[in-house]
Order: sequence, then C-alpha cells, then structure tokens
Amino acid sequence: MDGKAISETVTLDPTSVSDPASAAIRTVALSKTYGRTIGLDSVDLTVPEGLVFGYLGPNGAGKTTTIRLLMGLLRPSAGSATVLGLDVATNRERVQAQVGYLPGDFAAYPDLTGMQYLTYLGELRGGVDRAHITGLSERLGLDLTKKVGSLSHGNRQKVGLVQAFMHSPPLLVLDEPSSGLDPLVQREFLSMVREARAAGRTVFLSSHILAEVEAVADSVGILREGRLVIVESVESLRKKALRRLELTFEREVPAEALAAVAGVKDIQVDNRTALLIVEGSTAELISVAAPHGVANVRTLEAGLEQIFLSFYGEED
Amino acid sequence: MFRTVFSKQMYDERRRLLMWGVSTGLVGSMMMFLWPSMRDMPDLDQFLANYPQAMRDLFNIEAITSVAGFLNAELFSFLLPGLFLIFGITRGAALVAGEEEAGKLELVLVTSIPRVRFALHKVAALTVSIVALAVMIFLFVWVSGLAVDAGLPTGELAAGMTSVMFLGLEHGLLAMAVGLLTGSKTWATGVASAAAVGGYVLYAAGKFVDAVEPFQVVSPIYHALESGPVGGGFPLIFLLMPLVGVIALAVALPRFDRRDIGV
Repeated sequence: MDGKAISETVTLDPTSVSDPASAAIRTVALSKTYGRTIGLDSVDLTVPEGLVFGYLGPNGAGKTTTIRLLMGLLRPSAGSATVLGLDVATNRERVQAQVGYLPGDFAAYPDLTGMQYLTYLGELRGGVDRAHITGLSERLGLDLTKKVGSLSHGNRQKVGLVQAFMHSPPLLVLDEPSSGLDPLVQREFLSMVREARAAGRTVFLSSHILAEVEAVADSVGILREGRLVIVESVESLRKKALRRLELTFEREVPAEALAAVAGVKDIQVDNRTALLIVEGSTAELISVAAPHGVANVRTLEAGLEQIFLSFYGEED
Repeated sequence: MFRTVFSKQMYDERRRLLMWGVSTGLVGSMMMFLWPSMRDMPDLDQFLANYPQAMRDLFNIEAITSVAGFLNAELFSFLLPGLFLIFGITRGAALVAGEEEAGKLELVLVTSIPRVRFALHKVAALTVSIVALAVMIFLFVWVSGLAVDAGLPTGELAAGMTSVMFLGLEHGLLAMAVGLLTGSKTWATGVASAAAVGGYVLYAAGKFVDAVEPFQVVSPIYHALESGPVGGGFPLIFLLMPLVGVIALAVALPRFDRRDIGV
C-alpha cells in the first residue's frame, strides 16, 4: 500500500462505460463553483439503466451538489448532465417528471397531514394513485393521518421516501435515503430499492455510510473533494479489497512461505501469530498455511471502509 | 384537497386573512361608529384649528367635517395604508423566498411544475389575498356606515379601499419579485419596506418642503393618497401601483426560471 490517492477518474467497470443512449445518468465534465469554492470539479459519470448505483463520499465531497444538478435545481458552472437521454438544462421539467427525488434535507408543510402533503405533490405531478401512496406508507410504517409538523425526523424521512417512489418513476435519485430510519425500516427500504431494480428501474443513491450502499448497490462511484475518484462494481471492489487476516500457528510461523503467496501485501510476525494484509482472495494463503498447523484464523470482513483506505491511503 | 399551488396557498392563508380582515374591519367599524359624535360635535372647526399646521396638512384635517374627510384622516392616511403595506410585504416575501429559505420549495419544484407557472400561482394567491382583505374591510366599514346613517357614497369608500389595496399589492409584488430574484426573505422584506418608508417620507416631506414637492410624484404613497383617497374617485394614477408591481415581476420571472434554488 503506497498510500497514494488516485486523482484521476478511474473507470474499471465495463458496465459503466456502456452505450450512452442506454444510460440513465450521464455527466460530462460536470462542474459547479460557488463563488471561489469548488463544489464539483469536472465529473464524468455514466450510470447504466437498471442498476443500483451508490454515490459515496465523505460529507462535503459534492454528493448533494451532483444530485441537485441532476434534478435541475442548480445550474452547472460548466459541463452538462443528461438524465434518461434528456439534457437537464434544456429539458428540466421533462426530466423531473421521470425522476423520483429525495433531497438530503427537506422541509414539508408542517400543518398538512402526510396524506394531504403527498396528494398535493401528486396532483402537481398530474395525479398519483392514492392506493399506491397508502401501500408504500404501510410498508414503511408511516401514519398518513398525522400532521407532518408533528412527525419525528425518521418519519418525515419516510414521507420523503413515499414521495420519491409514489409515481413509480424510471429513475430514483435519493440523497442519503436511510438517514434517520431505524434498522427494520431501513431493511424495508432496501427491499424497495431491490424491487425497483427488479422492475428495470435505476436507483442512484448517495451515502457517507458505506455499509448501506454495499448492501444494495451494483456499482459505486467514490467522490472526494468534488472529484470522482473511482467508479467500479461492488463485486470487483470487494475482490480488490485489502483484508486483514490473523493466523496463529501451533509451531513457528512459516513467514517466508506466506510472504511468497500472491496477493499478500504485508506480513508482520509476533511470536506464533502472523498479521497479514491480503488483496483479493485468501484461498491460496490458507492452503499454504494449513500444513504448518494453523491453530486459529481471525479475519476482518472487507468493508468498503477498507476499500476506501486502499484508494485514499492510510492517512485518511 | 388542493390540486394547485394557488389553492394550496389560499388554504394556507385562510386563517391569517380572516384574522387580518376581521380585526382591521372592526377598527374601521369603530371609526364609522365614532363619526356621528364627531359630526355633532359643537365647535369642531375651532377644535381642529388648534392642531399644528403640519398635522392638518398631512392628515387632511380640514376636511374632517365631512364623512369622507373623516375617514381619510382616521383610516386612509396612515392606518390602512400601513396595514396593507405590512400585509403585502410580509406575505409577498413569505410566499416564495420564505418557503425557499425554509427548504419547502425543492420538493414542489421537482414535481415538474414549470417554475414560471409556480410563481404565477403565488402571484395570484397574493393578489387574491390582498383583494379579499380589502373586500372584508370594505364590508365592515360600509355596513357600519349604513348603521349610523353616515351618508357615505359606496363609490367613495370603494375608491379609498382600491387605493390602499393597490398600494399593498404594489409592495407585495415588489417583495415577491425580490424574493424570486434572490431567494432571500430578508432582501425581499428589506427592499420592499425601504421602498414603502422612502415613499412615505418623500410624500410627507413634499407636503412641507417646497423643494421636495416636485419629487412627490414618484412616491407610491402619493399615487395612493393624493386624490383623497375617499371622495377622490378612481384617478388613473391608481393604475401606476399595480403596474410597478407587474414590471418588477416581469424583471424577476426570467431570472427565477434560470437561477439556482436554495436549500
């Protein structure tokens, strides 16, 4: 691990460079500056249709800026965004009609009940089936008869989610969707996302919590300081992930044999225990180690945190 | 329950409108009920002569011996213009900039409603609110006038209400236009209030300072009050008030259509 941050956009996932015509989202050199502050710096991103795409990055990396540009709420300082084949700048309303959007932070009208608020937004969209609103609310455990102003943060978030899903849009753009949801509701939300994908819809969701994206996304893009540093499938990221493995032997540690195994990046020996950092599969390592009498194996599951570390370097 | 931005806004305004209309209407009624005792007061002219000249000019106190003059002095020279200005400016700033600052606008605008149409619904709601307020106050004063047999011609009262209604509308639309331009409730309220205060100072100063008098003509307060307004008919200058509001909107709408929406 050399600790070097990757500054150029890396597109390793073959599905993410498919034909732009079938892309749900495509940005070209998309940039946004606020005065002298750079919110988003020349982002080239392609999200194919029918995928769940996780948009990751620490707070302030530019996730919300990207999303608000895609929704036509902000105008790009440079570059362009195309959503479902339509340029957002020139077809704002047509894009909005086909997207379900959950803002990262929103305020509803506090004196309306959940049902009044949702049917109002539905009417502005040209009418939405009330039964569908009720069905989604029941799934998430949302009481539609309560005034929005009296709801907790988590329940308001449910109102936002129902609002995003209620017109069955071909594309869902969700900014920090599981913020404030309890674990059971979060699971229900994830199954709604999977159902949307099964129905051929595209889901673009942002998060700074890696585990929730890992649970549902096919591909992820990682954003850092306004720049997209990588786009890759979750599967191949996992393959490349660095794992930490602790092997305790009955006898002396066969350090040289272990270090020679492909994928082993680092080995530290402490008495009869070896701490290894391995890239990708650990199968070969285990088979090499086994004849030497392994007493115990401890492994740390590869989370995207570790993947983050491999791209950002240990100093982050 | 509501299908449009306009109907939603009118639903939101219902209680506020009722409160403003009834409370201001009651003040108007009270003045009307005071009129007979004022009219029958012996030595009224002599009493009024004791007022300072400046007060007599600004509130048109000489005319107080007629019911139109009485209403002009008591209601239409300060109280009603002030209330309509406050109502128009606060609502004009709240309807767009206020919602934007509170983060309520985002989910409404992404429903694919064209931004200009959204803004025009808000304009319509503000206009209808101000007209409804004027109608309510008119009814209170008019019915009270009948009750005390004040002998006030309906048209004269209507002219007075039209003038203050237009004044509120002009500044309300100005506040809304600044809100559409900037997304800031503070700017919307500030600019429209500064215009109102500036207009009043210019109008009042024009009454006393000869050098200022020629500039009175640009003051919205002058447009509203110079004719009386009760008893002065419906001068064309009234139309300048809504016209200025419409021009402000025409400047703001294209910019609103293109600018970033705040969270």
